[in-house]
Amino acid sequence: MTRLRLPARLAAAFCWVGFTVAAAVAQAAAPAVGPAAPPAAAPAAAPAAAPETGADRQLVFGSFRSADNARGWAGELGERFDRPFHVERVRRRDGDWYRVRSGPLTETEHAALAARAAAAGLDVWTVRGTLERPDGVTASTPAVAADAPPAAMPAPRSAAVAQPATPPPAGSPPPRARIQPAPAPPAGAEVYADVDLGLQTRTYAERGSAGQSRFQPSVSARLEYSRTWDDGRSGFTFTPFLRVDAEDDERTHADLRELFWSRVGDDWELHVGARQVFWGVTEFNHLVDIVNQTDFVENIDGEDKLGQPMVQVSLVRDWGIVDLYALTGFRERTFPGEDGRLRGLPPVDADAAVYASGAGRHRVDGAVRWSHHAGPFSFGIHHFSGTGRDPRYLPSLVDGEPVLIPEYHVIDQTGFDGQALFGDWAWKLEALSRSGDGPRYEAFTAGFERTLVGAFGSRGDLGIVVEYMYDERDEAAYNTLFEHDVALGARWQANDLAGTTALFGVIWDVDTEEYVLSLEASRQLGASWEAVLEGRVFGGAPPLDAGAPLAFDGEVKSRALQDDDFIQIELTRYF
Amino acid sequence: MGNLGRGTGARRPAFMVMAVIGWLGAAAAAAGTLDGRQALPDLDGLAPEAQGLAIFEEKDRRESGYQDLQVELEMVLRDRRGSEARRELSISQLEMADDGDRLLVVFDTPKPIRGTALLSYSHVEGPDDQWLYLPAQARVKKIASRNKSGPFLSSEFAYEDLALQEVEKYDYRLLGREACGDAQCLRIERIPRDEFSGYSRQEVLLHEPTLRIERIDFYDRHGRPLKVLTNEGYLLHEERYWKPQRMFMENLQTGKTTELLWREYRFATGLQADRDFSTNSLMRAR
Repeated sequence: MTRLRLPARLAAAFCWVGFTVAAAVAQAAAPAVGPAAPPAAAPAAAPAAAPETGADRQLVFGSFRSADNARGWAGELGERFDRPFHVERVRRRDGDWYRVRSGPLTETEHAALAARAAAAGLDVWTVRGTLERPDGVTASTPAVAADAPPAAMPAPRSAAVAQPATPPPAGSPPPRARIQPAPAPPAGAEVYADVDLGLQTRTYAERGSAGQSRFQPSVSARLEYSRTWDDGRSGFTFTPFLRVDAEDDERTHADLRELFWSRVGDDWELHVGARQVFWGVTEFNHLVDIVNQTDFVENIDGEDKLGQPMVQVSLVRDWGIVDLYALTGFRERTFPGEDGRLRGLPPVDADAAVYASGAGRHRVDGAVRWSHHAGPFSFGIHHFSGTGRDPRYLPSLVDGEPVLIPEYHVIDQTGFDGQALFGDWAWKLEALSRSGDGPRYEAFTAGFERTLVGAFGSRGDLGIVVEYMYDERDEAAYNTLFEHDVALGARWQANDLAGTTALFGVIWDVDTEEYVLSLEASRQLGASWEAVLEGRVFGGAPPLDAGAPLAFDGEVKSRALQDDDFIQIELTRYF
Repeated sequence: MGNLGRGTGARRPAFMVMAVIGWLGAAAAAAGTLDGRQALPDLDGLAPEAQGLAIFEEKDRRESGYQDLQVELEMVLRDRRGSEARRELSISQLEMADDGDRLLVVFDTPKPIRGTALLSYSHVEGPDDQWLYLPAQARVKKIASRNKSGPFLSSEFAYEDLALQEVEKYDYRLLGREACGDAQCLRIERIPRDEFSGYSRQEVLLHEPTLRIERIDFYDRHGRPLKVLTNEGYLLHEERYWKPQRMFMENLQTGKTTELLWREYRFATGLQADRDFSTNSLMRAR
């Protein structure tokens, strides 16, 4: 749970200068197909079995781009067939291949092994004559979840029977064994695609103050596609997201959470495209986190973010990591629509957003952050210069209806986030000084988290979080509910098979006595389902008078939320 | 276990003698066959504590020099009622010249936590540095490594069972020798030095010719038998490193078990400290 910002309404148009660039770069840097061969295999110490009389043929069980995969497959075959298998390197015009073969066989042995291979559903083929010494050892490598060789390679059907008399001509790619389906290890994988679909229902305690529905079902889809090449030094990531909401048109939205190309050097990284960047250490309020715009219709906790187009350079040095950002293309905050809940009164008309800067949403923002750790301490210091992510809200009339219009300002923000770990205690501080949207001001969030391992004699861990949030502007702080608030939280991690976790929190404004109660709990259901329960209760603010003027009340900022207590259940299926 | 690791790292002066012996041993090994079977250093005349330490120093020496390694791990968790859960992880490890090793663990399944990653810098002295990456928030969080006695991913393995096992983190004592299978095994008691360990002591059974760990009996803080680990299916990698394919941990007090299946070991693949083991690399380790 976190930052409750002033509810309001959405800006839709995605005007992403950076994206076209990113997409073009990603296209231009068209990835090479197929795994890169790793460093050469260990020196061969394997005794090539001396061919016995009549042992004049061999069975080939597959060819791989990667020596590791070949050796892994040889190891797995070794276990399965209880005999040694060899790996040889084959040079071709298209590079090196690693071929897994049986070693010399007599006619009888050949027939027996070919039959066993066929029974196991493996495509194998025969070569005659003796081959040069094998380029690597065998059954000393355990079973492997082999990535399949490039799909372009044809697998001869039942080649063991067809028996080509000679190895295939050098120009044709070597056949391969049909690898049994095995989960490819993502760390070594070149490509990963992941899809998850979510079904969410929000149930509110009562109808909205403008008569909105008590039930708000929605569905969501998220794809994550990533591929790396050039031995992991180049990469491309694509993560689109879509939600369709039955009640709120503005909550029906799509976003490119990520779409970027990366190049990784020995001590630097370059990323071009839309990314997600998080700064900060505290749990209830993400005060210094400013790179990405909040996707406010997704969740009011400020933890869902819109993809931010950028060019990021990251330098890894002995004295820490320096990140330099050029943020190309401003993203406007999303806001619930008229039929949505958890919104301002009146609703925010995001489409009517105005900019204090003449450059408007096309301004290029810049940021730099230095982060480091030493002993128990870790910290980051940053400066951001550009369009602030939090708008002010201007009461206005659009088509005769009262609305709030978001107004974005150019700001300069310098901030610090740090953490000190002493035993089970983690001490945390986020602080910033900002100018540009009114007089310069300072704000901080500070607190600690204590973890009790095996609490109450159970397997579970209990974390206690205490934080204090301060903003010197007090009532004038238009972009936060937290100016003098205390937060208490309890995080329970059951350490059970289902990975059950729960986080309960209460935020209390010590001056106005407004409070927010929150609960988030999650549990895995089998290997590919997850259930998440979320609930919030708002209280302490005097109720709205039916006839009262609809205006921003700095003293009781959560007044508009008082009717919006809700329980949310989300089921997600991962593919 | 030391399967996830061991450290080279700076030795204290008290270990200088062992370091010299280790160097001699390395020279002998280089001259002879590298089959992972070597004679133990001479233990005669040493107290059982020094013998135990000498054996683990030797084990550490034999397992060092790998530069870096990568391996895939599948965990199978079972409780008494037969419920089962699986987790798949990718593990990378880097040997550091002047400090403890570095470790990167990336969670592949279950899908809801895919991309979550743990980075650990072990230190010969002082607590380890650990960071957790939470992909849903793109957040890197430094976490307390003191929580070492807690379960690792809800398994019967505690963080400390799988952490990089620097020799200096225990006190040792050779209890005796006994037959195990066709060979002889060494039974060594080791007592964690860390006050936050979940164990009062462990009894480790080492296969003498190779110093492979065959079995560990864990005792809880009250001295009661807690868990038993058995390692199986050892394979020799790079003609030097013995690694089990299967580790089986049984909790004697709850009946729960965890099986670890290790696959696709790769050594000296050219991983680098800044590129592959910085907090930046956590974020792209998906």
